[in-house]
Amino acid sequence: MSRHAVIAGVGHTEFGKLAGRTAWHLEAEAAAAAVSDAGLQPADVDGLLTDPGPSQGILQGITPHFLRLGAQLGLDPDYTGSEILGGAGSVAIVARAALAVEAGLCDVCLCVYGDSPLSNAGSFEYGRGDEAAFGFFGAVGLHALAAQRHMHRHGTRAEQLGEVAIAARAHGARTPHAQKRQPISMQDYLASDSLVEPLRKLDCCLVSDGAAAVLVTTRERAADLRAPAIPILGHAQAHSLSTYTSPNHFDTLPAARCGPKALGHAGLSASDIDVALLYDCFTIVVLLQLEDYGFCKKGESGPFVEGGRIGPGGSLPVNPSGGLLAEGYGGGMLHVIEAVRQLRHEAGERQVKGAQSALVSGHGLGMNTHATLVLGSHAHV
Amino acid sequence: MSEVQPPVPEPDALSAPFWEACRNGALEFSACDDCGHYFLPAGPCCPDCWSPCMSSRAASGRGHVFSFAVYRRTYHPGMPAPYVVALIELEEGPRLISNVVGCAPEEVAIDMPVQLRFEPAGDFMLPRFAPVGDEKETS
Ligand SMILES: [Zn+2]
Repeated sequence: MSRHAVIAGVGHTEFGKLAGRTAWHLEAEAAAAAVSDAGLQPADVDGLLTDPGPSQGILQGITPHFLRLGAQLGLDPDYTGSEILGGAGSVAIVARAALAVEAGLCDVCLCVYGDSPLSNAGSFEYGRGDEAAFGFFGAVGLHALAAQRHMHRHGTRAEQLGEVAIAARAHGARTPHAQKRQPISMQDYLASDSLVEPLRKLDCCLVSDGAAAVLVTTRERAADLRAPAIPILGHAQAHSLSTYTSPNHFDTLPAARCGPKALGHAGLSASDIDVALLYDCFTIVVLLQLEDYGFCKKGESGPFVEGGRIGPGGSLPVNPSGGLLAEGYGGGMLHVIEAVRQLRHEAGERQVKGAQSALVSGHGLGMNTHATLVLGSHAHV
Repeated sequence: MSEVQPPVPEPDALSAPFWEACRNGALEFSACDDCGHYFLPAGPCCPDCWSPCMSSRAASGRGHVFSFAVYRRTYHPGMPAPYVVALIELEEGPRLISNVVGCAPEEVAIDMPVQLRFEPAGDFMLPRFAPVGDEKETS
């Protein structure tokens, strides 16, 4: 008898500058919210997977984050671990939870992202090492190289990157918990400070304190729980670790490899997806993913996003909660949660009418890591 | 008054020979003795065939801009903006992160031919690149 993984509960804290609360406080709050959303008790949780955010994980070295969080939550899980995959980590732990419950290693797996870089991280680090000697700092510089390539090869214009930022803020305006709820105009976008050309401040995601959690269990276990179970129809990962030496690095994301796999597991193609939750650390990453997932042809994402196509009411709504550009930096877990809310049809003013399928992506580190989840609606259960 | 110095390379066992060659005026890359692949940065094996057997070659110093980014905001007090970070593709094939110097940021373009120019930074010589035809000497 085969077991099928579903998402049975979701929860998160508010996002923004949350002074006086550590990442541990935030993670505990998100975990409790997810358990309560599912109608379960803490004692039902027998799996724990964590994605420590950048200031907890990557910048502090690989610490046994799951061990400390598990101790604080009083858990003795049958299955545990942390993933350090940057922005691909949250999607990856939800997929790993699906594997674990389908394999019978645990029945109710709690997946937690959390971080508090605004309130608790140390001083800003400039970066070190050989590349820092050339002034190559931060994720923005790296993604600027990708944006420059896209503009050069495909004629992509600043206004087309701007469409992504404008759509995110328009979505955020309809999301009660979003960190940024003020819409922006093209004029605002073009007037936004240039950080690392061709990227402006409004091309860059927010920095946030906050935590988000998802509970993965089996279809059978979820049958009599509070909320409709949201089935995990497919998932896959692909990575590009060789970075600058890889011929297509900066031109194509590993999404081009794992997208078709994840969709294939689900028996769907990109054109079947009703709502896309695309990791949006920078606007250029949304454009690259629209191409690499097959929502449009290679090089055509610029024209594709024009005219509000990915905004509210567009034919392919992307990140209806506002994503990293407006909702808050949730490491990708907020993208998973928004997909669940859309597929439960409980997203209120921002609900994508009749949404039956969602694709969720995670993208991280030096454009090195990528993970994809395909979720269905209760009708698929 | 003390000025903040820009960051300098932090050589490790693998990269120390690269930085030593730079001090001697050569940009070296690795050549696999078994499959002939040329690569940067230096590693414990050939990234194509995993052979541990490799030797060093000196780059001609000619290459082109694969992509670039113009830092308009100062992120480090020792490195005031604007400056250009570029991914340079050497004519032999390997790529490295460097800077384009010797021209205004507005003049830099993808595919622009560039030539190597060493510039001092602390105890190091940094391999930077200038537009071909920019003959300004460095001291
Ligand atoms: Zn080789």
